[in-house]
Amino acid sequence: VSHERRRVILVDDDPSVRRGLERLLRSADYVVESFPSVQAMLAGADLTGASCLVLDVRMPGPSGLDLQTALAQEGDDVPIIFITGHGDVQMAVRAMKAGAVDFLSKPFDAEELFRALDQAMARARLSRMSRGDAS
Amino acid sequence: MAPFLNLVARLLLVALGYYIGASVGFVLTFPQLTPSVLWPPNAVLTTALLLTSPRRWWMYLLAALPAHLAIELPLLPPALVLGLFVTNCSEAVLGAGLVHWLSDQPGRFDTLRRTAVFVACAGVAGPFLSTFPDAALVTALRGEPFWSVWSTRFPSNVLAELTITPTLATIALASQSRLRGVSLRRLGEAALLVCGLLVVGIMAFGGPPGGSVGRLWLLHTPFALLLPFLLWAAVRFGPGGTSLCLLTTVMLAIDAGMREVGMFATLPHREDGVLALQVFLTVLSIPLLCMSSLMEERRQTSQTLEQRLGFEAMLARLSNAFVHLPSSEMDRAFEAWLKRIGEELRLDCLALLEFAPGGEEVVVRWWSAIAPDTSPQTFRPVDFPWAVARLHRQEAVTFSDPDDLPRSADRERAFLRRHGVRSGAIVPLEAGGRVLGGLAVVTLTDALAWQDHLEGRLSLVGEVFANALARRESEDALRVSEGMKSAILAALGSGVAVLDREGTIIAVNESWTKHAEEADTTSASRAGMGDNYLAAWRQASADAASGREALAGIHAVLDRRREAFALAYPCSGSLTGRWFELSAVPLHRAAGGAVIASREITDWKRAELEAQRSREELAHFTRVSAMGALAASLAHELNQPLTGILSNAQAARRFLQVVPPDLAELHAILNDIVEDDKRAGEVIERLRELLRKGDFHALPLDLNGLVRDVARLLNSDALIRNAQIQLVFTGRPPTVIGDRIQLQQVMLNLLVNAMDAMAECTQERRVVTVETATSDDGFGRVCVRDAGVGIVPGMLDRIFEPFYTTKPQGMGMGLSISRSIVEAHGGRIWALNNPDGGSTFGFTVPLAGVNVS
Repeated sequence: VSHERRRVILVDDDPSVRRGLERLLRSADYVVESFPSVQAMLAGADLTGASCLVLDVRMPGPSGLDLQTALAQEGDDVPIIFITGHGDVQMAVRAMKAGAVDFLSKPFDAEELFRALDQAMARARLSRMSRGDAS
Repeated sequence: MAPFLNLVARLLLVALGYYIGASVGFVLTFPQLTPSVLWPPNAVLTTALLLTSPRRWWMYLLAALPAHLAIELPLLPPALVLGLFVTNCSEAVLGAGLVHWLSDQPGRFDTLRRTAVFVACAGVAGPFLSTFPDAALVTALRGEPFWSVWSTRFPSNVLAELTITPTLATIALASQSRLRGVSLRRLGEAALLVCGLLVVGIMAFGGPPGGSVGRLWLLHTPFALLLPFLLWAAVRFGPGGTSLCLLTTVMLAIDAGMREVGMFATLPHREDGVLALQVFLTVLSIPLLCMSSLMEERRQTSQTLEQRLGFEAMLARLSNAFVHLPSSEMDRAFEAWLKRIGEELRLDCLALLEFAPGGEEVVVRWWSAIAPDTSPQTFRPVDFPWAVARLHRQEAVTFSDPDDLPRSADRERAFLRRHGVRSGAIVPLEAGGRVLGGLAVVTLTDALAWQDHLEGRLSLVGEVFANALARRESEDALRVSEGMKSAILAALGSGVAVLDREGTIIAVNESWTKHAEEADTTSASRAGMGDNYLAAWRQASADAASGREALAGIHAVLDRRREAFALAYPCSGSLTGRWFELSAVPLHRAAGGAVIASREITDWKRAELEAQRSREELAHFTRVSAMGALAASLAHELNQPLTGILSNAQAARRFLQVVPPDLAELHAILNDIVEDDKRAGEVIERLRELLRKGDFHALPLDLNGLVRDVARLLNSDALIRNAQIQLVFTGRPPTVIGDRIQLQQVMLNLLVNAMDAMAECTQERRVVTVETATSDDGFGRVCVRDAGVGIVPGMLDRIFEPFYTTKPQGMGMGLSISRSIVEAHGGRIWALNNPDGGSTFGFTVPLAGVNVS
């Protein structure tokens, strides 16, 4: 599994949460790029080749859900895992319908995140295969 | 009619006197000598003229004519009779006229000058001049030798004038005034004098008829023995007594001469003897009269002096007596002193008129020498309208006869007549420019010759009385007002005590005493009359803080450093659970001191505490409700650090499986975990603080920090609502005095409201701006501006009322509680709509270190 295939982009406004998740992901051999906001991510990250987006829902500025909608409109089907400290059922339903891999409520167990990431990896692989990307 | 009858009586008296005088004159002739040795009628006439005004002389002269005719017509030819009347009259008119012209008091002999004038004019000049026509007449009609007639008639007339006129005048004047105060001793002395004179006279001039006493007498000049008696009279009995004694001597001598006994029997020439007797007696009488008047003058002067001294001493006693006299004893003192003054000044009647306050009554206290009952009488001012008006104009009234009073004084005249008043005077009693009454003196038996000094003395006495009356009036007024004050004090529910300069209690009211009886020794309320209130506070140390405050405050008031001091304090000991309020104000008087008022405020305090508790419970309840509403965002606030902790911990566990473990990484992880844990703890702490049920603790606190804490608590809420909270702190950070939790609640309320108001706004507009500032008037100010829907116009006034709400789930208590909190802090809260939309809520809290009442 190449590094490229295990690239994860993390967006969360809370620096502590960001640092903790970064470490966790690195411990599982993910390559992590983290950003404090959607705008910062859009400005600094290369979405192509990213295996997964881990997005906080509520952030100052555009929310994670806003980004999901925007990506869907672009036709970008990069798998998305939502993490939220203030989630409700409607929000989760909406996210899942829009194609989210998982909707995790903070605080969550590492295993939950890794399971969701595995799904996301699988989905990304499938997606690449369906696009005929045989690499 | 009375004056007319009086005049007629006098005229008749003169006629009678003339008749008797002439009869005596005819009798008093030595055998073989025609002219009388002593011719009294002229002296009678002279006396009458001396004592009357020249305008009325003609009446007296006419009245004497019938008497003259009656006595002389049977004896002498009519022409001579008429002629002699003319010459008799001329002697009286000449003598009396000169005296009237030269003397200030004709008819009086009490000064040397008056006596000298009388002797020169009526005694010598009158007879001297009138004897020429007299002698001429007799010479012409009877053919007697002129000089012989002249030389016998002149001394006879002189002797009569000198001895009879003073006697008659003195008797006449004495009969007009009462003979009061003549002591028995003096009467005895007079009797002794008269007896001695008679005995010596009789012996000197030849003894009783037919007796031979004279011969027994060894001295050759027995006249000399008369001198001691005459001198005695001159020294002790005045001109009147002297002339009476002289007259007696003359009569005795003439009697002896007539009977040709004694010394007269031995004289070779009877005419010479008569002349010698006349000359002797004349020469004797002139110096005796002068001497007696000199003595009289001296006596009167010393008497006047004595009287004045006596009066002044009495006046001093009088004013002494009234200076410290309690007003309750004044009535009795007035009466006693009226009597004393009346007796001292030898008055008939003395009256003190007092205008009672209100002007409805005139109370008259009086003393009379003759009336035994002198109980006070009450009149109305209209009974004496004229006199009262005069007194009110501060004018004295003097009258020597009620008839002298003006027409407008009819009532007064009628009153005076009814009471037999002959003359009187009244002076106003004036003190401090106010007329309080009058002091009157009246004579009942005699017309008093008003002398200036009497009115002056009356005024002096009046002054003392006036001051006493004025003092009594002011004391009465004071007593009334004092009585009112004590009644008010007694009725007061508050205990009132008066402290002197040192803090000793010098007066208390009933309520104070009641409280003192309830208290035990641990309470300052125990202090009663005579105790030192400051010491009582020092001992009552159960509540040290309020004790110190009370002591300092009362001290400050006693030292006049403070105009007022008030303190509410809880009691200890037997009064535990009860609250009292103490207030002290300075006593504005020279000696200093303070007035302490103490009242129980337990019920009031209890109600206040009750209200405060209710308010706090309500505030707590609303805080809990607010927290409920914030639960979701608070969960988020906690989930963030918890997420960080969990992630970091799980990452660490995985890193530990790597050999060798990256210790630096692990160290960083643990640091992050610690920080996150602290973060979570702070959130919980803030939450707990808000949910705590706390008592009111006003402490200095940083307003900016408080705003920051609350904003942080609402951080998640704002995030969830997609709203922003902007804090704008400018200038010096305000440090205010307040209760942290309560002010946080206000802040929380305003911020939540602001975000609620912006629920419908576009995301860009969802900004709440909080500004703090320090105002110049000693307040810290917080303004919370939102861009929401604003407040419905007309509701700005109502939004702080309880149960006013625009939210479906709202209770309508938030702003109401915020207002009560802010106002309890001494600040104020307000709301207004922004010109560019939304509304601004602001409140102020007093700055620390600034005295805000």
